[in-house]
Parts: sequence; C-alpha cells; structure tokens
Amino acid sequence: MNEETSVPFPEFWNWIQALPLSEHIGFTWWFPFLESLHVLAVGLVVGSILMVDLRLLGKTALSIPASRMTREMIRWTWGAFVLAAITGLGLFMTRAAAYIENPAFQIKLVLLMLAGCNMAWFQFRTLRHVDQWDTASPPPQAARIAGGASLLLWIGVIFAGRWVGHII
Amino acid sequence: MNESVVAWLAGSAAQEAAVYLLGNVPGLPPIAQSLHILGIVAVMSSTTMIHLRFLGLAAPSQNVSEMISRLMPWTWWALLVNAVTGLIFVVGRPDRYFLNPVFGWKFMCLVPAVAIALVIYQMNKRDLGFWEHTTARLRSARVMAAVSLVLWVGVVLAGRWIAYTDYLYFLYE
Repeated sequence: MNEETSVPFPEFWNWIQALPLSEHIGFTWWFPFLESLHVLAVGLVVGSILMVDLRLLGKTALSIPASRMTREMIRWTWGAFVLAAITGLGLFMTRAAAYIENPAFQIKLVLLMLAGCNMAWFQFRTLRHVDQWDTASPPPQAARIAGGASLLLWIGVIFAGRWVGHII
Repeated sequence: MNESVVAWLAGSAAQEAAVYLLGNVPGLPPIAQSLHILGIVAVMSSTTMIHLRFLGLAAPSQNVSEMISRLMPWTWWALLVNAVTGLIFVVGRPDRYFLNPVFGWKFMCLVPAVAIALVIYQMNKRDLGFWEHTTARLRSARVMAAVSLVLWVGVVLAGRWIAYTDYLYFLYE
C-alpha cells in the first residue's frame, strides 16, 4: 500500500518503520508491553481530565475551587501524557506508514489537536479570570463549554485510538 | 474447573448470542472495547485518585473522606460497564479467556482490588471520616491504598496481555 500512498513523505514513514528500534518493538514482547503501559497512561490522562471537566461543567465537587482542582490534577495529566506519548510513539514506529494512512489514527490525531487547542484556550482565556468565578455555581458558560468539549474530545480520542487496531 | 466452564458455555444460547452480536452489530467490538477503556478511566479518576490521596501523592487540598463519597460511586458504575462489555467477549469466546492463564491473573488482581475498594467505601459510608479518626486506621488505609494501586496496575496490564498470550507462547516455543 506504500507505493500509492496519499500521505505526504512516504519515504520518511518507511524509513521510520525500518529503524532497528521499530523492528525490535514490532517483533518482540516490547509491543504488548508498551501497549499495556499506553492503556494505563491513557487511563490516567483522561481520568485526571475527567475530574476537571466535571468540575468545570458544575456537575461535581463545587465545594472545591475550580483553580485548585485544575492545579491539583494537571501534574497527573501531564505526567501521564508524557508516558502515553512516548509509548504511543513506540507503537507508531513499528508500522508508521500504515498508521499514518489509517483513518482512525488520523481522526485520533485531529481530536488530540482539538483537545490541545481547547485546553490552551481555557488556560489562557478563561482561567486567567478564574478569581471572578472560582467558586461560582454554576461555573460560567465559557468554563462549562471548555469542560464539555474536553470531555467529548477525549472520549473521541479513546474510541478512535481503540479503532486504530481494528483497521490496520 | 476452567475446562468445565468452557464446556458449559461452548455452544450455549448465550455464546451464540454473543458471537452473533459481535459479528453482526457494526463496530460492536471496538465500541465495547472503548467503553471498557472508559471504565478504566473512571476507575483511575475515582479509586486510584483516592489511593494516591491516601499516600499523599495527589490532590493534597481535598478531604479524603469527601473524595470517597464523591468519587467512589463512579467506581461501581465503571465496574458494571466493564463487566457487561467484558462479558460479551468472554461469553463469545470462552476458551480464549478461561484457558488463558493471563485472564486468571487479571482476576487475581481484580478481586482483591475490588474488595479493598468496598472496604474503604463501606466503612466511610457508615462513619464519615472513619479512615482519618485514628492514626492506626490511616496507616492501614495507606497500606491498602499501596497494595490496591499495584493490583489495579496489574489488572490493566494483564487485561491488555490477554490478547497477546498466543503470541507470547509462540515466542517461547
């Protein structure tokens, strides 16, 4: 399928999957090992985000200021995200050319980028004025939209991510 | 014993129904698996976060008793979702699970982990703040939290490895 690929830089993806490390991961117990760590990391990424999103939606934990909930969870989100990204990259390398063409994988990347944009917008716009709504019940519309969008996007990431393995 | 479970399920109406659903409902396998992962997500943000709180590693400002009553109902719902989504596959292909040692390891981690979660939840429900009233209780809660964290990691890792066990045997042959 690599001869007539519609994806840019076909040589690059082929070069990645031909690396000794890629082949080592693909042909040994490293692949399932990295994949199980990936599931664990994803669980912690989305688990910590879920707590913040539900708080922003005003569904739970209204007694805890939004800024504090965000601050306490973000380190777990980022720590687990680094693990998920490294393990995910390891999985990707093994069949880079096929994954990059996989529609589920492409959708997953788009959803991840949208989730990142949503997070950045919330961080730099809405959270900047958090002192005005930190304990407000319900939280302002901008916070509720950010929480709801994040929740839907990350659920989408999980569905798309799980679908990757069913298409390849 | 596992062989008899397989024999009992093989060819049963339940197995036929599960196989039919998995083969004929478009996208059912990835949908059920994604819901199963979302269940893991909910466990991670409820029980696991509470364990990390007990160990002083997460959410330092949040009260642990309040966290237990706020978050643990999520654990029970998640476990229900995971039981249903998992059963579709187990009933559909019982030999793949009941004759697979990794499936057994998963439940050797899962059963004590759920038992610990139940103890922590029930004692706190009966007496709010139970785990914080004495240092001895707090210490035992911390031990349970540490053990349980390891068990949950084991559940997730073993769960993912079930699908690779054939591959593993192939490697070591």
